[in-house]
Amino acid sequence: MTGGPGILIVEDEAPIRQFLRISLEAHGFEVREARLGADGLAACQERAPDLVILDLGLPDMDGMRFISKLREWSDLPIIVLSVRAAENEKVQALDLGANDYVTKPFGVSELLARVRVLLRNRDESFPEIAAFEHGGLLADFKTREVTVDGTPVHLTRKEYDLLHLLITHPGQVLTHEQIIRQVWGAAFTEETHYLRVLMRQLRNKLGEQATSPRFIVTVQGVGYRFDVSG
Amino acid sequence: MPAAQNNMNFLTRARHQDRRSQAGPRGAYAWALTTAAATTGIAFLAHQLLPHANLSLLYLTGVLIVSARYGLRPGLLASIVSFILFNFLFTPPFYSLSVQDDGDVATLVFFLVMAAITGNLAARMHREMDARRASFDRTHQLLEFSRLMSSATNTGQIADALAKDLAARLHCPVAVLLKRDGQLDRQAWSGGRFEVSQAEIESIWAREGQDCNAVGERTVLPLASPAGRLGLVILDTGGRGRSQADLDMARSLCDQAAIALDRTLLEATLEEARIERETEQLRSALLSSLSHDLRTPLASVIGSTSSLLDYGGSFAEADRRELLATTLQEARRLDRYIQNLLDMTRLGQGKLSLAREWVDLHDILASAMGRVDRPERVRVVTRIQADVPLLWVHGALIEQALVNLLDNAIRFSPADGEITISAACRNDALTLEVCDEGIGIPDSDKERVFDMFFTARHGDRSQMQGTGLGLAICRGMIGAHGGTISAHDGPGGRGTCMRITLPLRREPATEAI
Repeated sequence: MTGGPGILIVEDEAPIRQFLRISLEAHGFEVREARLGADGLAACQERAPDLVILDLGLPDMDGMRFISKLREWSDLPIIVLSVRAAENEKVQALDLGANDYVTKPFGVSELLARVRVLLRNRDESFPEIAAFEHGGLLADFKTREVTVDGTPVHLTRKEYDLLHLLITHPGQVLTHEQIIRQVWGAAFTEETHYLRVLMRQLRNKLGEQATSPRFIVTVQGVGYRFDVSG
Repeated sequence: MPAAQNNMNFLTRARHQDRRSQAGPRGAYAWALTTAAATTGIAFLAHQLLPHANLSLLYLTGVLIVSARYGLRPGLLASIVSFILFNFLFTPPFYSLSVQDDGDVATLVFFLVMAAITGNLAARMHREMDARRASFDRTHQLLEFSRLMSSATNTGQIADALAKDLAARLHCPVAVLLKRDGQLDRQAWSGGRFEVSQAEIESIWAREGQDCNAVGERTVLPLASPAGRLGLVILDTGGRGRSQADLDMARSLCDQAAIALDRTLLEATLEEARIERETEQLRSALLSSLSHDLRTPLASVIGSTSSLLDYGGSFAEADRRELLATTLQEARRLDRYIQNLLDMTRLGQGKLSLAREWVDLHDILASAMGRVDRPERVRVVTRIQADVPLLWVHGALIEQALVNLLDNAIRFSPADGEITISAACRNDALTLEVCDEGIGIPDSDKERVFDMFFTARHGDRSQMQGTGLGLAICRGMIGAHGGTISAHDGPGGRGTCMRITLPLRREPATEAI
């Protein structure tokens, strides 16, 4: 055991647990495993890990219930493992409080990137940071000024709110509902076209290429992610 | 006495005819009296101008009109009343019924004979007209029945139509029983239900080859075609016999119905055979696709990993990496194929529920392009008109359709080829094109490439070929949105353009932004 950040894997498939453990330990994480949801919750209570990797299809309990239960007393980051073609499931998990998801089958590098982003986001607390900078985008939180490659960009209040929300969760997927709730308020969660139109305006102002965006990535049917991988 | 008999005949016919005249029998007699009175009125006005013999002609006209219109008996009444009035008012001695002249007696006889002849003629004419109308109705009904028989698409319709028609013609309850899987079941009733026990039906059915049986209070007609007996018709005649004409008519209807039944049964058999053949073809195509598309990547995965496991230590680092890269690539191919199969079953269940929301076409394109493996050398150019509005679609499905189209375009692109994606709005539809510079699709195949396993059925398993599912999935997903997808020649006849049209919906107002 290395004494690095602790990760709890809740997954019933032994081969997947095996390759996750080997890969994560090789990257300096301290890994614990649970085959069942109940075991996973017990392990969290006994000694809280720094992050949970949760398979949604557990034999003893619905993954959604696991998330709800854990969120009753803990806000430790959760990454969900989900199957493709089930956008609803991902959105539901995210809206319940999961922090991100990876679609099975996945490469380890993808999972590691998500793990790192979440652990970093947890360590940094954004209100104390005066500015955000990534890949040519600079946002000053005090003056609300934004520049792209040194050129000032004038954003409306809502556009700035949207950008601010995304860059304060860098690399993390935010569902449509989460974004609308923050930018417009809970009464507007059905009005996804507001978000689409606003997103198009914001991207235009940031000078995004339509089909290969630099900053904001669309996660089809789920939400948006501020890309910090590049 | 022939005359009396004849007279009787007249009377019965007249009664018959009275019933049919437009006014009721009482109305007819009232009209006879009214006509006589009216004639008298006219005669009063005319008798200054006409000699009295001619006044009798006036009365005769009235008698003829009544006879022609209302038949014999009102005609006779009119003639007697007319004679009395004529005699009383216009012949000497005036205002007396006594007959002075023999000519007046002749007038009475003359009136009666005219009324009888005219009434008889009129009655015959009415009868003929009625008969003709009835025959016309019968022909019309028969034609209508034939039309129904030839347009019926299933045996149920035929049984219903037959039962209704027979019940209406024969005025009795009718049951139609059809044989299905060796059992007499599908039953149509008309004109009221009556009890037929299963045992009774069985016993009737068992007496093969008997026609128009009277079974108790019922009459049974077979429904038979050259191919064999198809069913039974039971008429609940209540013990009263039916005329031979009625039975002949019923039998001819049954024959027509039997021909129609034969036809629909044959059609059903042919359709079943066609579906079975297609299912069989599809199944064998799926099996060959499964064994090829699942096994080929697995062969690479098993081969690469087992050799790494057994001999990896002796391999050069570069070789080891290469084997692992192949394993990964093939595993991903397997994943894509399974995704295709899943999509296909999702579409095949016919209850694909669309989770529509407002989506930006740019977003769909961006994530679709992020999902395909594109060699560096193949360039992708996008031309999207600025006025393309938000789409009201299930984003993931449209994205999947685009991924499949892009996969194909990349696979068929020549080295350093160019793929063009263009989008424009026309009328109330979005037109989206994905064009490549590949070998193109011959005209004869432009429609068939959307058939499931078309490429697989062609048997050509070169590197160029896909699983034969991609385009079928595209069509299913675009079709679920009410759109279309079709294959066209690329610009200048080079390559292929896949064209999607999607109906647009007006964007809701977005004043809250």
